[in-house]
Order: sequence, then structure tokens, then C-alpha cells
Amino acid sequence: MSVETVVTQDDLAEMVEQVWASYLDPEGVSPLLPTGDDKQPTEVHSTVSITGTWHGHLVYASSMLAARRAAAAFLAMDADEVGAEDISDVLGELANIVGGNVKAMLPAGCFLSLPTVVLAPETASYYPAAERISGLWGQWEGESISISMWQSVKQGEAA
Amino acid sequence: MKILIADDSRVMRQIVTRTLRQAGFDGHDLVEAADGQEAHDKAQAEKPDLVISDWNMPEMTGIEVLRKLRAAGNDVKFGFVTSECTEEMKSAAESAGSAFFIVKPFTAEQFDEVFSPILG
Repeated sequence: MSVETVVTQDDLAEMVEQVWASYLDPEGVSPLLPTGDDKQPTEVHSTVSITGTWHGHLVYASSMLAARRAAAAFLAMDADEVGAEDISDVLGELANIVGGNVKAMLPAGCFLSLPTVVLAPETASYYPAAERISGLWGQWEGESISISMWQSVKQGEAA
Repeated sequence: MKILIADDSRVMRQIVTRTLRQAGFDGHDLVEAADGQEAHDKAQAEKPDLVISDWNMPEMTGIEVLRKLRAAGNDVKFGFVTSECTEEMKSAAESAGSAFFIVKPFTAEQFDEVFSPILG
């Protein structure tokens, strides 16, 4: 089963809008502007895995500055006051929030993992038995942010 | 009132605290727990009036905490603030005795709606 028919890029965009409205841009002045550029570089990322009736991963990735600004917005602090621990925590929570909302759209019987945060580019992580099936790529205040979904490939079909 | 906020994300505990304040619920005694086991232990030891819990936490999930508390005869008002919201989870929460189910991302308006009857 392809999840693309269940969770579309528009669905991801709607979830992201809710996150921005609640935490990152409550005044509605600096939205995530979609670019569709799936080659844009990132510097940090976080992943939650989904298992059960659907298997795969949701990956939130961004530039370090976007992560720092996100942490500052979450914590109501200045960006230069934010530490690495704050950034990791917020990156994990962002993947968790979007992943939780994605899970709600999948067939019943899925489980969401705790987030894994890596303060290194998205390309530093590999999902050898999964392929990217959808995503949202954009700029927030001039900084790269992406949310992508990776679906596990059945053994034997990966080649 | 004493409120226990259980979430493995420190940032999210701060956001819950801030959102409570934004929703007008100031002046309560707040206690925090960083995983399910700590949530369970503090719910027993600190005797809070309300527990606001994440679902997916290390050591013990929120629903396991709630079930364990109820099994021990603790009937503290308990509910969830979680990014996960499926009918099966809502149903499991209700069956276990959950008083509310708030989905992340949430707003101060939602907190006001849910917590006004509880916190006044």
C-alpha cells in the first residue's frame, strides 16, 4: 500500500501550518514558504519511525539557524540564548508532532517511535530499506526546512 | 491546585506551562516529570489534583501510567496532551479513565476550553 494516497503533500502542508500557527509563527507573519526544492541543503534533522499497518519514517530537517530560531520560538527566548540541548529537544518535538499527526491519518494499528535527533545534515542518515515517497520543502525566514516521508520497501523489492 | 506535567520533552513541558498561563490559569503549583516512571511516582507521592501527560514517553507510556495509577486506586484527574490522536488511542484513554485528550499542536483557546471546567 502506498501512503501517498493517504498522506499527501497537501496534508503535510496543513500539519506544518498548524505547527507554525501554534508555535513558530503565531502572529502569521513568517510562514514556511514552499519551494519544492528537494535538493536544498540541511544541517540538522530528526526522525520518528512508524510501524504497524504502515512502516516508514518521517524526517524533519532544517538549517542550523532555522533550528535555533525554532527553539527560540518554542521557548520564547532569543535565538542567541538557545543551547544545543534546546535545539535537539525542539527538533525531536517537531518530528514527533508531525509524525503523530501523520500516524492519525494512517490505517489503525500504527505505533510511533520516540524521536531520534542528529545534529548533522539529513544526508548523514540512511534509510536502506526505505524510499522517499513524499515531502514538503521550503524556506522559513530564508532558511531551509523540509519534512519528508519514507516508506519501507519489502525485502526483495528494494533492489 | 497542584498540577503534574509529564512529558519527556523539556521544551514541551515549558510550552504546556506557558499555554496554561496564556489561557489564564496562573498561580497553580506545577510539578514536572520527564518520563512515564517519574510521572507515576510523582502522581503517587506529590498527590497532584491534575495530571497533564504526554502519551509516548520512555520507561512507561502515558496510558500505562494512567492504568497503573487506577489499578492502585489513585483516581487523580488525568488526561493527555499528545501529538498522536487515533480513535483507538482516544478509546483506550477513555476506557482507562482519562478526562481529556488534547492534540499537539494546541492553542491557549483549546486549553481554556478543556481546563476551565477543571481549574475554574
